[in-house]
Amino acid sequence: MADLPHGIRRAFRLALGRPPIEQEVDAEIDFHLEMRAAELVERGMAPEAALAEARRRFGDTHEWGMAMSEVDRERVARSERAEWLSDLRQDLHFGARSALRSPLFTLLAVVTLALGIGANAAVFGVVKSVLLDALPYADADRLVRVYGRFLDGSNDRGPLSAGTVTDIAARQRSFVGTAAFATLPRESILEGDEPRVVQVEWAEPKLFRVLGVKAALGRTLRDDDAVGDTAFTVMVTYAAWQQLLGGDPGVVGGTIDINGITRTVAGVLPRGFVGPGGDADFYYPLDVRLLLRDPISARGSGWLGVVGRLKPGVTVDGARRDVAAIGADLAREYPRDNGSITLSTVPLRDSMVGDTRTPLLVLMASAGLVLLITCANLAGALLSRTISRRKEFAVRMALGAGRGRLVRQLLTESALLAIAGGVAGIALAEGGLAMLRRLASRALPSYAELSLDPGALLFTFVLALCTGIAFGLVPALSARRSNTQATLRDESRSATESRPSRRLRGVLVAAQIALCVSLLAGAGLLIRSLAALTSASLGFNAGGVLSVNVQLPADRYRSLEEQENFFEQLEERLRGLPGVTGVADATALPTAVMQRNGIRVIGAPPPPDNVLPFALYAGVSDDYFRTLGIPLRSGRTFGPQDGPDGPPTIIISESMARRFWPKGDALGAQMRMGPDPNSTPLTVVGIVGDVRNDPTRPDAEPITYAPARQDVRQSRFLLVRTSGDPLALVRPFRGVLTALDPSVPMRDAMALSAFLSDGLTGRRRPVVLMSAFGALALLLASVGVYAMFAAMAAAREREFGIRVALGSTRREIAALVLRQGAVWMLAGLVGGAAGVVVVARLVSGLLYGVRPLDPVALGITLLTVVACALVALLVPVRRATRVDPITTLR
Amino acid sequence: MDLLKGTLDVLVLKALTWGPRHGYAVARWIEDATTGQLQVEDGALYHALHRLEKQGWVESEWGVSEANRRARYYTLTRAGRRQLAAKTATWTRYAEAVFAALRTA
Repeated sequence: MADLPHGIRRAFRLALGRPPIEQEVDAEIDFHLEMRAAELVERGMAPEAALAEARRRFGDTHEWGMAMSEVDRERVARSERAEWLSDLRQDLHFGARSALRSPLFTLLAVVTLALGIGANAAVFGVVKSVLLDALPYADADRLVRVYGRFLDGSNDRGPLSAGTVTDIAARQRSFVGTAAFATLPRESILEGDEPRVVQVEWAEPKLFRVLGVKAALGRTLRDDDAVGDTAFTVMVTYAAWQQLLGGDPGVVGGTIDINGITRTVAGVLPRGFVGPGGDADFYYPLDVRLLLRDPISARGSGWLGVVGRLKPGVTVDGARRDVAAIGADLAREYPRDNGSITLSTVPLRDSMVGDTRTPLLVLMASAGLVLLITCANLAGALLSRTISRRKEFAVRMALGAGRGRLVRQLLTESALLAIAGGVAGIALAEGGLAMLRRLASRALPSYAELSLDPGALLFTFVLALCTGIAFGLVPALSARRSNTQATLRDESRSATESRPSRRLRGVLVAAQIALCVSLLAGAGLLIRSLAALTSASLGFNAGGVLSVNVQLPADRYRSLEEQENFFEQLEERLRGLPGVTGVADATALPTAVMQRNGIRVIGAPPPPDNVLPFALYAGVSDDYFRTLGIPLRSGRTFGPQDGPDGPPTIIISESMARRFWPKGDALGAQMRMGPDPNSTPLTVVGIVGDVRNDPTRPDAEPITYAPARQDVRQSRFLLVRTSGDPLALVRPFRGVLTALDPSVPMRDAMALSAFLSDGLTGRRRPVVLMSAFGALALLLASVGVYAMFAAMAAAREREFGIRVALGSTRREIAALVLRQGAVWMLAGLVGGAAGVVVVARLVSGLLYGVRPLDPVALGITLLTVVACALVALLVPVRRATRVDPITTLR
Repeated sequence: MDLLKGTLDVLVLKALTWGPRHGYAVARWIEDATTGQLQVEDGALYHALHRLEKQGWVESEWGVSEANRRARYYTLTRAGRRQLAAKTATWTRYAEAVFAALRTA
């Protein structure tokens, strides 16, 4: 520091020379040496010898001087700390007193802050648990998942075949280990006194090693568990252990019966464990090598997912290139099976977070905007309070309080308010999260636990403190600028607002309007999008339809005929129930069809580059289309002639017909489905209306329907149409099923319309929340506008009195007030326009059927804001025009 | 004679019982009161003064000396007076005990 240029020293007011403590110590030592030398001279010593003797008696002056300075520095530091603390205590005391002196203001401020901070705490709680908290695996950031991407664009995150999985494991150079698992748990029956449908997931035993998960009880699966067809072991998840097996600690080593097969429990998985394939109750050991024996199951059909743990030093990008290269090799080696897909690699968290990231970030941004508005609003309110308290500050300054001390006092007051608001906000957020937990568990990744943990609480506390400083700083600095003498002397004008303070308040109001417009525009766009989503027809009529999943025990219904007979009998009896107008079954519910098959049109040229196009696939019974109200466009629906011995038939959707038979000759045409180019040709016997399988997309994906008689399954969704309330049918349905066979369980009985609306919950929630935030912002901004005009009008009351006395009309006075405020409102709207562009880009990924700059949404937003602002300014403007010159000028 | 540990602090406190003094005056008083028997560097004495100030037993203030020079004056605080009383009692008991023991022939 000693060699800083002089200019810099002056600019930063750095002390020249040594600090005062050392100077004082030097002076003290000098004084002592002089006195001692003088004493010795008096006793007859020569002056020079006397000084030397004085030094000798003192000891090492440098050493002692350093020691003394050190002691002094410690003393000064300690007293400064004590003083700071006592100041803080005084500030807090004073702040609390001044808060209690104006209880209404304090209450309003705390409520406003609670809303602003609570909204942020709640949203942050969700964001943290979904996007930030650790996945239930060891070192989860090093885990990735490999997907098959269908080149025709129908599926970016598709499953892989056993052959592909094996080749990835053998050829990769990026992973410590990889493990395969079924992408979807399967329904099975846990036998017992009351048979239960449970979810069973197949996974390679090494999956638990790759994920770094240890058993809570017993052990995880071992490689030899999967060998051969003799060792039947099973892993139980914590939830299944608790709910299905009664939490019995002796379960390890015991047996359970699933689908007629007795299996030994190897261990219980830890609480909170969720597999990368989704929620499941039981894990079976999977041996991929068994699948390789059969050519079709080896490469032709894909139902596996792969996770891998990156080697130290390997990045996700590196692994992505490695895996993509393997994918390209496989496409060359197996053009028939792998020619239509590429391999993509994504971090496991991204794969599990799914579609919730963007809505959550949008919500977080909205909550942040609300907090900004809260800050601007409170800053404005505190500003007027500071103005009315100017006298108090002037007196305190006259009594010796420094300006810095005053600023600190005001900041302490606002921080106190903010912390009180933060505490109330946490209570609000807890309530809000409890509500979200009930409402939306389906729409969030299943590993997310919505709660305010210490991290979220800390975030809230810091947020509250920053908020307090943010909204307290502006008024505190303006209080510092005020002129003590003038304020104390000049009583009559103490209510007048200074010009900079007025401008500051204008800027604050403009900022609130701008933020409010941005937020409302975002909410408006989402509302419009949701409306478009829910109003457009899905292509079928879900009203009045009950859907029930029925699963046949495999050991009791072994042959396809037995299975088919059971469902035919069940449906026949259901048709006899009162009120029932239609009964059908399907392999998957509409909007939830998962299976896609490769399509080869016979007679059409092979697809370019051997890239097979895919179409959705469902097996349906004869009455499916009639029961769901899906219109038949041409040809016929299925009938008894489409039995297992009849010629294989297929019904396709309109968009399917348009896409594959552009000349309109689909009916009667033939096609092949699946990986085998020599499979039996299917004849198109009917064309039906489109059904939008993904309700969040405007266009309908091509669908193929096969007759249930030719694609017999043990697990089916029964669809029963009734003239009354579909849920009233659940009990009669159960009665019919039990009468037929009491060992057959049913599950997921629900109204089809409720199922559809559940599917939209994930879309609806951000819209509802953002609208709530928008309403809050509107309210806050309106209060801000009101406060600005009220203060402006009050400040110029005398002037208005004089003007009225001199002959101004009310209209002229009103115009005067409006003109002053309108400038800021206009500035706010202009700022809002800029904000809208940013917000529109942010939400564009969530929009459906609406353009980001949708004129209707933006127009309504603008009108709403302007209308609210007009209402807010009406009262103060009216009051200004009612000024009575006699009272104001007295 | 070398100084026993803690002795210097008591002597410094004692030196200030008659009112504010600067460091040199304290040094002179100790020399006079102990008839020059104690060997102590003046620096150690000043160090003791600053330590006692940090403890809160003395306070210091700059003033003007008899010779019209700026000097740092030390004053005993209330806590310092209590400390001196306590230390004096301890020292007296200690010295008496040692003295009594050494006298038994």
